Amino acid sequence: MIEITVCVGSSCYLKGAYEVIKEFERLIPLYGLGDQVELKAGFCLGRCAEAVTVKIEDKYFTSIAPKDVAALLESIKKNILKED
Amino acid sequence: MKVFTEVFARSLNKRGEELCGDSVEVVQSEDSIIAVMADGLGSGVKANILSTLTTRIASTMIRNKASIEEVVKTIANTLPVCRIRKIAYSTFSILEINDEGEGRLFEFDNPPVIYIRSGKVLELPRREFRVEDKKILEYNFKALAGDKIFIVSDGVIHAGVGGLLNLGWQWSNVANYLERVEKRGYYVSEMVERLIETCNHLYRGEPGDDATVVGVGVRESELTTVLVGPPEDKSKDAEVVKKLIASKGKKVVCGGTTANIVAREMGKEIITKLDYMDPAVPPTACIEGIDLVTEGLITLTKCLEMLRNMVNMYNFTLPLPKEIRKEKDGASKLVDLLVNRSTHISFMVGRAVNPAHRDVYFPGVAGDKVRIVEEIAQILKKCGKRVYIELY
Ligand code: FES
Repeated sequence: MIEITVCVGSSCYLKGAYEVIKEFERLIPLYGLGDQVELKAGFCLGRCAEAVTVKIEDKYFTSIAPKDVAALLESIKKNILKED
Repeated sequence: MKVFTEVFARSLNKRGEELCGDSVEVVQSEDSIIAVMADGLGSGVKANILSTLTTRIASTMIRNKASIEEVVKTIANTLPVCRIRKIAYSTFSILEINDEGEGRLFEFDNPPVIYIRSGKVLELPRREFRVEDKKILEYNFKALAGDKIFIVSDGVIHAGVGGLLNLGWQWSNVANYLERVEKRGYYVSEMVERLIETCNHLYRGEPGDDATVVGVGVRESELTTVLVGPPEDKSKDAEVVKKLIASKGKKVVCGGTTANIVAREMGKEIITKLDYMDPAVPPTACIEGIDLVTEGLITLTKCLEMLRNMVNMYNFTLPLPKEIRKEKDGASKLVDLLVNRSTHISFMVGRAVNPAHRDVYFPGVAGDKVRIVEEIAQILKKCGKRVYIELY
């Protein structure tokens, strides 16, 4: 299971964490990743100045907007395929 | 045992009237609470003036330790006389309960009090006396936690008269109704709401008289401690968290970073759930041992906004709109906890300011945490809560 944590701290929420989460929720099934990833919310991930912050496994991605979600999922998918 | 008394009130205005002829005033003294409800003769402006005068005089005098006889005399001699009916007239009920639960109630021409204890209407012993040939009823009682006391104006007792109900709702039916609602486990604030709404239905939305309900709840004191923001000095983290954990009663943490600190110090995990999302308020989280964990600034600002609106709506006390318990966003949960389920509230406010908040997202208001908490505290105090603030 790959963990995706979207920050829902003050800064990130103000910068659109809600929309980012909604976009993840919409796209995860479309990418057929429903069984492989787990979407979570996290409180302040400590990168407030570059909100929205998303953590995938141990990697931090900053300044994420809904339009970036597809690319993130794309790369997750590629990684999974590689590992197989 | 110490008890805490809270008062909620709601009124309906007579159809077509902008002002209510009933008035309610609540005064909190150091060790007691006094609630006065008066029903002015007639309706509209005149009745409103009569009843407002009455509640003002009564509450001010009692607060200054005047005896009830003095109060009644003063009211009788002060109220302007109606030119047509030649009477100066406003009925009233005055209730006082102190922190030990000792209660006194004086009634002049208002419908008898409805006193509910463990699901049953209780008949209180009473005595009658006269002041300036006005017949006053006096009740002395010992209030226990869980008691609920309702003072209603005759507009409630007569609801529906000549319309849906020939004789109106009537005292015993109102009392039964309250018994039933109480058995279903509603808060006093909700019972007040329900009663006034039912009243409005009976009038088919067009009240033939002003109607007022004052609900008084006696409860054991309940403490809630709210930690807001990390302490300015990091080395105090452990101490502050320890203090929160050691506090009796419910515990709340507001702020993402703060929540992280609490979880770290407690050696617990923060679990955030995504099953409920509100675009305006960030989701809440769970830490074992903490009753509510929310984000900070946005949630608190929203909470303040909600409290402000309620105060504007009801002007002196905070009867909660019944929907609030169903809301799942952090701000509503916080408001529900503070207003419905706490009597004593202690805020521990950390003064650390997140640099990103200051520079990017909340320029000008980032340091305003303290101000926001202070305003929240002010409103809570106004509705009878005992509130304390400590800064770290
Ligand atoms: S609020 Fe998202 S990183 Fe701080």
